[in-house]
Amino acid sequence: MTELELRELRKTYRARGRPPVDAVRGIDLTLRSGELLGLLGPSGCGKSTTLRMIAGLETVTGGDILVGGSSVVSRPAQQRNIGVAFENYALYPPLTVAENLAFGLKARKRADRGDVARKVREIADRVDLTTILDAHPAGLSSGQKQRVSLARALIREPDVLLLDEPLSHLDAAQRDTTRRELKRIQRDLGHTTILVTHDQEEALSLADRIAVMKDGMIQQLGTPYEIYDTPANVFVADFVGEPAINLLPAVTTADGHARLSDTARLALPVPLAAGREVMLGIRPEDLSLAGEEEGLPARVVAHEPLLESGIATVTLPGVDNPLAVLTAPEVRLAHDDRVHITADPGLTHVFDAETGDSLR
Amino acid sequence: MTMRKRLLGWLADAALILYFLFALFPIAWMVILSLKPTNELFSTYFSFSPTLDGYRTVLGDSEGIPFVRFFVNSLVVSLGAVALSLLVGLPAAYASARWRFKGSENLMFTLLSFRFAPELTVIIPLFVLYQKLGLFDTYVGMVWVLQLVTLPLTVWIMRSYFADLTPELEQAALLDGYTRKQAFVRVALPLVKPGVAAVSLLAFIFAWNNFVFPLILTSNEAQTVTVGALSFLGGDRPKYNLTAAAALVSVVPPLLLALTIQRYLVRGLSFGAVKS
Repeated sequence: MTELELRELRKTYRARGRPPVDAVRGIDLTLRSGELLGLLGPSGCGKSTTLRMIAGLETVTGGDILVGGSSVVSRPAQQRNIGVAFENYALYPPLTVAENLAFGLKARKRADRGDVARKVREIADRVDLTTILDAHPAGLSSGQKQRVSLARALIREPDVLLLDEPLSHLDAAQRDTTRRELKRIQRDLGHTTILVTHDQEEALSLADRIAVMKDGMIQQLGTPYEIYDTPANVFVADFVGEPAINLLPAVTTADGHARLSDTARLALPVPLAAGREVMLGIRPEDLSLAGEEEGLPARVVAHEPLLESGIATVTLPGVDNPLAVLTAPEVRLAHDDRVHITADPGLTHVFDAETGDSLR
Repeated sequence: MTMRKRLLGWLADAALILYFLFALFPIAWMVILSLKPTNELFSTYFSFSPTLDGYRTVLGDSEGIPFVRFFVNSLVVSLGAVALSLLVGLPAAYASARWRFKGSENLMFTLLSFRFAPELTVIIPLFVLYQKLGLFDTYVGMVWVLQLVTLPLTVWIMRSYFADLTPELEQAALLDGYTRKQAFVRVALPLVKPGVAAVSLLAFIFAWNNFVFPLILTSNEAQTVTVGALSFLGGDRPKYNLTAAAALVSVVPPLLLALTIQRYLVRGLSFGAVKS
């Protein structure tokens, strides 16, 4: 279908009497036709501003947006043919679902009535809305509203589809089904899609590639596995992963280890010069309980049994930060228990303490 | 404990009843006054032979006072003022709710200041201007000057209604290919209907009740009921029963209006207070 390209895209907000705010500071992205890209980041990272600039709801300070190879920055939102499913669904309360869907088509005068009805039926079929076409938005569940919102964005056959936090207002059960639906519909129709979210689970499960954003810049762009397995810096490592990665300041030693405290040492995944200050990153699932001979002695602070696995919080002697360790379901631990833990050096991440960049 | 609570409840009820009587008393007094025949006007007793003569006189245009015309004038001028305020005020309120532009806050404050500047401070220059411009004692002149009262009201109340609407609805319409104007007329406006109803009623009441402007800026052709009702006090001796009848007749339109749009009104007037 259509390729989407962002070149050096920037947005600066200027308000009188206040210093200018750089919301987006030069984003380069190319989406292949039909690709679903997740724009993931904490609130205020510029992801929504980026989305609004693509849609034409926000002016562009610098750079270019190309849809199917031609620049759209000078065109108003009405002439861009970009579909947006808004976070709050943006359904028109006085109209029924069918009327809401038709409303989007009627702006373009050329669509005749039979055509509108046919398209409404088609999209309702696709997005599974046929049973609620006559309902009003107020009577729908959040999941249904989200599907209507999606259908409304899709009915015009947009070149690019933008999803703004599509699952954030759904409860856990609806989230799972809606997520699967979203993925299926996007695959079926093949729209080039950007998904904006602060929820890593949403991005990891839906996106072909993820761009992790912070402070208006892309920190890392890659497949979900690349983002998870080889985070480019401390921020990405910390932001992606649940429970969050353990981050431990350490100093490298001459024999290829990192010293956490006088007694605690861990093997480094890569050789580094001795005496360098680093930040170790170890995911809770890459730590394991071990026998007395091999592991580091640790003390249990708390253990949360989560049925399919557990999370133990432990402290190492002389190390300030407590560590989270994912435990097997049969493990039973109590406060003050003594355990030993080991880390797989191959799965340990090491970052520069100063810049936060990965040293792997 | 419950005893005390019940006692407090009774006290509160008693206080409310007292206030109710206090508030209703002038109206009851006027009703009594309007039903009195002229010769019993100054008797202080509640027993009198009630008559509708007062109303007949007032509505029959006798005594040389064209009260029916004043009434029609009031209707025309008030409805005209409301219509103009909506026509100008709705887009203005929408714009001020959606966009910050240079001086937008100053502009809004200026509009508001029309409401707290006493009308009497501007009435003399206005009188001179109206004489010169030929607006004195005309419908156009009255509708225009009433904008000082109704327009700030309309803009400020409607602004908060528009501000409470999520802009995403209009943005979705824009993405669908609607123009900015269509998004306003077809998306935003229908959603603030309760607000439009409430503000229309308020503006109508303010316009209808206005006294100073018609007093100074009209003489006969465009005079309204507020000033017209006082005409019955002039002459050789004040006819209080006719004044009371005239005043009660002039309460009818705002009352009817309030009753017809009551459905919207409760929602409209409490709109800002109860956020969804």
